[in-house]
Amino acid sequence: MADRKLQIALYWGAACGGCDVAVLDTNEFILDVAALADIRLWPIATDGKYRDVEAMADEELDLTIFSGAIRNSENEKMARMLRQKSKLLVAFGSCAHLGGIPGLANLFDLDEILKTAYLSNPSIEPGNSTVPRPHSEAGGHALEIPQLYPRVYKLDQVVDVDYYVPGCPPAPAQVKAVLLAVATGHLPARGSVVGASDRAVCDECGRHKAEKQVQKFYRPWQIIQKPEECLLEQGIPCAGSATRSGCGVRCPNSGMPCRGCYGPLPNVKDQGAKILSALASIIDSRDPEQIERILDDVPDLVGLAYRFGLPASLLQRRIGA
Amino acid sequence: MAEERIGVFVCNCGTNIAKIVDAGAVTQAVKEIPGVAVARSYKYMCSNPGQEMIAADIREFALSRVVVAACSPRMHEGTFRKAVEHGGINPYFLEMANIREQCSWVHDDPVAATEKAKALTRAAVLRVKYHEPLEKRSVPMCPATLVIGGGIAGLTAALELAEADQQVYLVERQDRLGGNVARLDLTAPYLDSARDLLRDRVVRVTRHPRIQVLLESRLVELKGFVGNFRPTVKTAAGELLHLEVGSVVVCTGYQEFDAARVRQYGYGRLPDVVTSFELEVMLRKGKVETRAGKKPRHVAIIHCVGSRSREFHPYCSRVCCMTGLKYAHEIKSAIPDAYVSDLYVDMSAFGKGCEDFYKKAAEARTLFLMYEKNHAPEIRLAGTDPEDGMLITMKERLSGEQIEIPSDLVVLMVGMEPRSDSDEMAHLVNISRDKDGWFIESHPKLDPVATTTDGVFIAGACQSPKDIPDSVAQARAAAARILAKIDQGEIAVDAVYAEVREEYCSGCRVCNELCPYTAIEYDETARRSHVISAACKACGCCVAACPSGAIKARHFTDQQIFAQIEGVL
Amino acid sequence: MAFEPRIVGFLCNWCSYTGADLAGTSRVKYAPNVRIIRVMCSARIDPTFVLKALSEGADGVLICGCHPGDCHYVEGNYKAVRRFAALKRVLRAYGIEEERVRLEWVSASEGVRFAEIVNDMTERTRKLGPSRVKPQLMADAAAR
Repeated sequence: MADRKLQIALYWGAACGGCDVAVLDTNEFILDVAALADIRLWPIATDGKYRDVEAMADEELDLTIFSGAIRNSENEKMARMLRQKSKLLVAFGSCAHLGGIPGLANLFDLDEILKTAYLSNPSIEPGNSTVPRPHSEAGGHALEIPQLYPRVYKLDQVVDVDYYVPGCPPAPAQVKAVLLAVATGHLPARGSVVGASDRAVCDECGRHKAEKQVQKFYRPWQIIQKPEECLLEQGIPCAGSATRSGCGVRCPNSGMPCRGCYGPLPNVKDQGAKILSALASIIDSRDPEQIERILDDVPDLVGLAYRFGLPASLLQRRIGA
Repeated sequence: MAEERIGVFVCNCGTNIAKIVDAGAVTQAVKEIPGVAVARSYKYMCSNPGQEMIAADIREFALSRVVVAACSPRMHEGTFRKAVEHGGINPYFLEMANIREQCSWVHDDPVAATEKAKALTRAAVLRVKYHEPLEKRSVPMCPATLVIGGGIAGLTAALELAEADQQVYLVERQDRLGGNVARLDLTAPYLDSARDLLRDRVVRVTRHPRIQVLLESRLVELKGFVGNFRPTVKTAAGELLHLEVGSVVVCTGYQEFDAARVRQYGYGRLPDVVTSFELEVMLRKGKVETRAGKKPRHVAIIHCVGSRSREFHPYCSRVCCMTGLKYAHEIKSAIPDAYVSDLYVDMSAFGKGCEDFYKKAAEARTLFLMYEKNHAPEIRLAGTDPEDGMLITMKERLSGEQIEIPSDLVVLMVGMEPRSDSDEMAHLVNISRDKDGWFIESHPKLDPVATTTDGVFIAGACQSPKDIPDSVAQARAAAARILAKIDQGEIAVDAVYAEVREEYCSGCRVCNELCPYTAIEYDETARRSHVISAACKACGCCVAACPSGAIKARHFTDQQIFAQIEGVL
Repeated sequence: MAFEPRIVGFLCNWCSYTGADLAGTSRVKYAPNVRIIRVMCSARIDPTFVLKALSEGADGVLICGCHPGDCHYVEGNYKAVRRFAALKRVLRAYGIEEERVRLEWVSASEGVRFAEIVNDMTERTRKLGPSRVKPQLMADAAAR
């Protein structure tokens, strides 16, 4: 290990902050991190400024942990800047890895979104017509705010990424593993997904699996579950079979179906397509009308299949107007 | 992956491809694709020189993959795989692009067809890079055979196999052997006795130590695959017999068309309108009579009943014309002073001895009256009493006249149709039926007794209407094919099957219930699913369902298909 | 110059691919817009293939299998029906017109029917115009 401390940055794009909290959730370990490394930028926790980053030399940072998706010009600017200034750039969490929940915005036009958010929902004052714009004037001053892009991108659709740490958020144990790997230099091949297994959640899940044939799908609250039995077999759509494990099966262990946040397995190009294929394949019916009725039991099929990975999917977003 | 060296061979197929698709342009275009080491065009790729060219080029240019843009792979994939193997590389390193059946033969526009041929060939080139060396698996060939149906075809097939000292199980639904031929008196054109013909066969079959005859029995299930079938037969006693065979020959024959459906013939209403089979009963008794017991003076024979008809069956039943002439002869023999009229559409006298037979019938003063297809004659009572006879009204084509023919007895030449249980049979043995309901052969010209299901053969009328000589020929052909396989001792089963890559299987079990051949088993201890490759038929259903992409469809992998998608667009 | 749709066809080996070959041996003419990829069974069709084809610029995707009840692999086509039913809903959410992705049954003896389906789908896709999926993906990438 070098004498000099590791220079690291943690940054958030279009994010909720949960990934940063996940790093903090490593508890005392964060103190070890502080001992190992200089945190040069971490908006949630420290005082670093953008101009500090601009002033750095190329690859001065050993590691940037980037969470959140790319939704506006600021996200993109910082992604590019941090890429330039970092030896290693890690896409951290579902949003950076796959687009995440913000990625679901790709099902809507920007106009629709702005209208709903700023013009026509119950909490807006009647008569409001202000919608965020990149440039505006107020009281003789010019105001520049980042420009919203028409769609959400995952990090590697904008810059080259070295490693991916999946999860919404990544499990604290995985956070530790990644930071230690970087610190000790024991890293897998560039481009790998780290902190996750190559098998699906079912591998880690302790529920008992039997033959899978369903005649009805249920929302988790609609039935009293059998806690020892596979959720999918009970008719509760669980994405576990199509999702990488490594998370500790936190959701099914708590009675909730896996939502797919760790992303697709290594041999899968489009996670949503596989979730659909799995759900459809276990429907126990040959009658087209009955099949439609059974699918109707799932109110938001596209949301279920692409909750975390719409920008990472093959089509990436809805056809724009 | 090391850089592959791909050879592309574009066939002209004489003018079949070259007339519409610019083979030269396709060859040029394909040279631009990275990895293509050699590309050429040739007149007939499947010919010996063509195949030699492929093998020689593989050696000379150290090719690691081959693409042949030509006819359908269903035609010549086997041929080119052998050529590739001959050249020294694994036969699965071949991919074909179908630029004939699905391009030059179906498009008029040479520019569009050539663009499409380029795209299809490019797709094959991109795909073949991902081909893997697959080894054919060998499974032992069980030498026993199940023959379904104890008619002339079934009896012939059974004997042929048994005489070669192989075990045969002959399953017959009725309580006697002989099928439809057992209902005949004489056969056309030589007027041999059907009874004698059959008796010899039936006796030999019943006595043969290698044939187990199961009368009043039916096949209820067929599991397994070629060389290793496991049929279950329900016997007369009601018990289920589990057998092991290597091959199945389906000889279930036909049923006759229901003459009552042709209302203008009055079958079922008019007592002296009978079917061909009903006449056979009379002929075997030696007494041709009307219902009232009188010798008929005027007999009419009507051809094409239910056949060659827009309303009923469009096909020709093949045997009725000669059988009709046979009746003309037999009736004249039984009643020398009867007048026999033969009402026909066309006289189909295609077989050996048949034109002579036709001539003899004319010499015996049979009156031939031609009617127009789809304008069938009408039969009504001459008076109020059936004993007064009937009148047949028809438009005679050669004279152009509307005529009335008096008849005491009318014989309807009812056509052949697929048996009502043929759908069930097809599903049981996993073969298909064509639009008329006859079982589909592997290739109408070149492979009429095999089916798309390896190890299941069809012979006789169940494949399409045919006479005794052809049924016998097909039965013997099927037996010969089976004997050849038995002689080899092993069956080479296709190397294409699905396999679970254990390192990616999470034991989710989504695949388990999907396999129609129950070829997927789950290991409770290891918590992984596993495909039994010998039972796998490579449909790929589990592959598409596997949410981890852990199951690989050998020779139809995701990677290969993605490459094709990229190539065609 | 009329827009020529490019349609990817996935045909099952036993029924529909053979039916398409039959159209060839019968010299039945049809539009040259469908490029065929052979699979063993319609059950092999992963929804991923359809999405991949669309993302690579296909204006339409045609999937053909055996008629219900006649699948060479017993019930593979029923699995295709289920997957297709789920996929359709997602395609709708993506804004892909329903007529661009079709599931049809073609038996081994239905050469004429295959030709009719190709012609019909070509015309309908032509009316819909080119698919905007790939141009939009490329524009998105170029914008960054």
